[in-house]
Amino acid sequence: MSNQKKRTFQIEAFKHRVVVDPKYAEKTWKILEHAIHEIYNHNASGLSFEELYRNAYNMVLHKFGDKLYYGLVATMTAHLKEISKSIEAAQGGSFLEELNRKWTDHNKALQMIRDILMYMDRTFVPTTHKTTVHDLGLNLWKEHVVHSVNIQTRLLNTLLDLILRERTGEVINRGLMRNIINMLMDLGSSVYQEDFEKPFLDVSSDFYRVESQQFIECCDCGDYLKKAERRLNEEIERVSHYLDAKSESKITEVVEKEMIANHMQRLVHMENSGLVKMLLDDKYEDLGRMYNLFRRVDNGLSTLKEVMTSHLRDTGKQLVTDPERLKDPVEFVQRLLDEKDKYDKIIHLAFNNDKSFQNALNSSFEYFMNLNARSPEFISLFVDDKLRKGLKGVSEEDVEIVLDKVMMLFRYLQEKDVFEKYYKQHLAKRLLSGKTVSDDAERSLVVKLKTECGYQFTSKLEGMFSDMKTSVDTMQGFYASQGADLGDGPTLTVQVLTTGHWPTQPCPPCNLPSELLPICEKFRSYYLGTHTGRRLTWQTNMGTADIKATFGKGQKHELNVSTYQMCVIMLFNNTDQLTYKEIEQATEIPALDLKRCLQSLACVKGKNILRKEPMSKDIGENDVILFNEKFSSKFYKVKIGTVVAQKESEPEKQETRQRVEEDRKPQIEAAIVRIMKSRKVLDHNNIITEVTKQLQSRFLPNPVEIKKRIESLIERDFLERDNVDRKLYRYLA
Amino acid sequence: MNKLGRGHRDKVHQFVAITGASEDVALKALKASEWHLEGAFDVFYSQLQLRSKTDNRRLEELYNRYRDPYADMITADGITYLCNDLMVDPQDIVMLVLSWHMKAATMCEYSKQEFISGLQSLGIDSLEKFRDRIPYMRNELKDEHKFREIYNFSFAWAKEKGQKSLALDTAIGMWQLLFDERKWPLIEHWCQFLQVRHNKAISRDTWSQLLEFVRNVDPQLSNYDSEGAWPYLIDEFVEYLLENCIVQRG
Repeated sequence: MSNQKKRTFQIEAFKHRVVVDPKYAEKTWKILEHAIHEIYNHNASGLSFEELYRNAYNMVLHKFGDKLYYGLVATMTAHLKEISKSIEAAQGGSFLEELNRKWTDHNKALQMIRDILMYMDRTFVPTTHKTTVHDLGLNLWKEHVVHSVNIQTRLLNTLLDLILRERTGEVINRGLMRNIINMLMDLGSSVYQEDFEKPFLDVSSDFYRVESQQFIECCDCGDYLKKAERRLNEEIERVSHYLDAKSESKITEVVEKEMIANHMQRLVHMENSGLVKMLLDDKYEDLGRMYNLFRRVDNGLSTLKEVMTSHLRDTGKQLVTDPERLKDPVEFVQRLLDEKDKYDKIIHLAFNNDKSFQNALNSSFEYFMNLNARSPEFISLFVDDKLRKGLKGVSEEDVEIVLDKVMMLFRYLQEKDVFEKYYKQHLAKRLLSGKTVSDDAERSLVVKLKTECGYQFTSKLEGMFSDMKTSVDTMQGFYASQGADLGDGPTLTVQVLTTGHWPTQPCPPCNLPSELLPICEKFRSYYLGTHTGRRLTWQTNMGTADIKATFGKGQKHELNVSTYQMCVIMLFNNTDQLTYKEIEQATEIPALDLKRCLQSLACVKGKNILRKEPMSKDIGENDVILFNEKFSSKFYKVKIGTVVAQKESEPEKQETRQRVEEDRKPQIEAAIVRIMKSRKVLDHNNIITEVTKQLQSRFLPNPVEIKKRIESLIERDFLERDNVDRKLYRYLA
Repeated sequence: MNKLGRGHRDKVHQFVAITGASEDVALKALKASEWHLEGAFDVFYSQLQLRSKTDNRRLEELYNRYRDPYADMITADGITYLCNDLMVDPQDIVMLVLSWHMKAATMCEYSKQEFISGLQSLGIDSLEKFRDRIPYMRNELKDEHKFREIYNFSFAWAKEKGQKSLALDTAIGMWQLLFDERKWPLIEHWCQFLQVRHNKAISRDTWSQLLEFVRNVDPQLSNYDSEGAWPYLIDEFVEYLLENCIVQRG
């Protein structure tokens, strides 16, 4: 300020010269040290937070952070050592409590200390890369308390002992446990894992190994599973109450391994209580439990599935090959349906609708149903029975349910074309005898078959239905136009069947009674008048007749009989007795049918409007048939001889089988030609595979048959063998 | 010729220069001998022996010697006469080979065309030459390739005109003849099997596949492949052999 020169003004910082007392740091530290002691001695209330904070702040500011930090370490360490001793001194049950108490105290103290030393925490600590006060406090606790020689093992053992006691049914102090475990978790996940979790898992493993061994010796499967489930739930609960959530999957794994996985085979196969028995007895709860438990272990469910499948296949196989059962087809199929229902229910209620179990069920059914070659026939007979009488009075929804179930069985059939043949036969008989319970049910089933197998399958069936309907219209037309002329003669109802639709066998015509001839002729000319170019043939093996008959004492009855029977009976209008030969000549009915017919008229109790001499059961060539004057019946209307579908006799069965085989040949050839046309060249094995694939919705073709068809096609120049590779075939355009 | 390599073209030129044959013939001969000139010459000259000029007039004379008096062809009687002249049994298999050369349509008769062209291809225009050729024809059966051709030829030749399949008896006769020549240990069993189990005519496919079976599968059936797309008749034959323990399956 003495010079006259012009100067710029500078403003400088105010330098307050602080005299740093060398003993300053020591003094300040002592204050803080004292404060820490007080804090640990629960005397914190007398301290001034502001003052202490300032002191700490100053120390750091004046570059005494180091001294502060290490002083803190020393002080805290000293305290912790003492604490450690006091915990060690605790006896028995109070060990944990003491530990817990001291831990809580330590945390409180630590909090206060950290607050006081916050400046250091924020500035000195990061720059010098030291641990923060909080973490320091934890580490020191860990080092000097938890890992102290006398405490570490004792702590672990106490904890494990408490858990063991709880497992054996004692009630323990869960809150205390939680706190201690939380302490370990706070100290770091590796502390928790090393100091507690690993040993815990090992000990649990041993525990459950022993326990499961005990149980399995003395319990049956259901009980054992209950126990296992209980233990599992206990452990889960334990974790939720006082362990780290991450331990849950680990401990459950231990239980699953020891109690379930190790004993899986023994449990499943346990005699009189294992899976098979549970299945037999419909033990839904036990099965559900088993499913849930086994789901948790590797291969658990696949083991269950395997055992269930083999049991099912065995039972199924027995069912279909048991000769007793095979006597009644309806019973047979009902039993199959029941079995299916049973397992559906089990899978639904106990196995959680598990798809893979459903698949196992399906494949088993497919396996054993096709073991019996008559399955298709029997299913058709079952349906026949239901549609004739079984579904009488049943509600529409219930009908649908039954039909849907039948369709499920149908799907398992490999030889669907065999079923088709029988079904057609049975349907024809039902329609023609008017014996179907519900038209709607019939049609509903046809629709289901169409959805399943395609139009081809059902087009002829639908033809049958429409023929029936058309016939009704035709009859109306006939009587409308001719009614007046007919007068007193017999009433005629005709069903006109289109040949392609119906499974009719060629029927040699028999001689109809003379009383009928006029009206039959009238119908013929009426029909052909409106439908020129068609040919009508009477199917005398399929009709029925209602006849009013008067017997010896004047009893009148109305007889419902087949056409053949009618022809025979009408002969007795003119005479009281005839020989077999005479009847045969007069009616020209084929011998086998005639014999059956006579048997039904003369040999069945209650229906013997004829009698025969001799009175044997079989019809002999030289028998004499007489009108039975003495016939009596409670009922006015008597039904004799039905055209009910029956289980086929051996020769009939052979015949049907043969026809099915014959029908298959062109189908196989068509498939081969189709495939070769598109592929041009293909080797033998591939042809077999492709053909099988194409035809599998109808039947399973025999590879030998396919080979024969190929050779036949070679003969007819549709295919040729390759010159070089004999396994290769070429399509000849 | 354009497709040949330089070396091959040269060989063809050389061949033509030396033998005076056409390029086509040269190509054929060289190919047959795998492009060895020496070998090609051998082939050429041996064929040359066959294809030596035959005198057409002499052929006519020969034909007329055997032809049927009422029809323009050689029938069974004529053939018997021929066999006599050749000092060969009419059932001798060499007659089959001869028919093959003639590409005869059916057995027991030769048309004029067949007779003449057949003899031409064999280089025969006299009975002497004819007799000389017999051993050569016999030898042809030893060649696998030719045997197969003759075998397959005999199906069409032996069956009835207008039929698709060969009658069983005829087939058995032919098989016995053929497999007497080229030995097959199972021939008797095969014939027995057919008579007992099959009793129907034989299809062409079965006929030709049988030879393959004979050539590829050993009599102990050790390398028989059931997935081998053999005709079902052969599969049945194998079953028959196993069932009757004629062969044990290892």
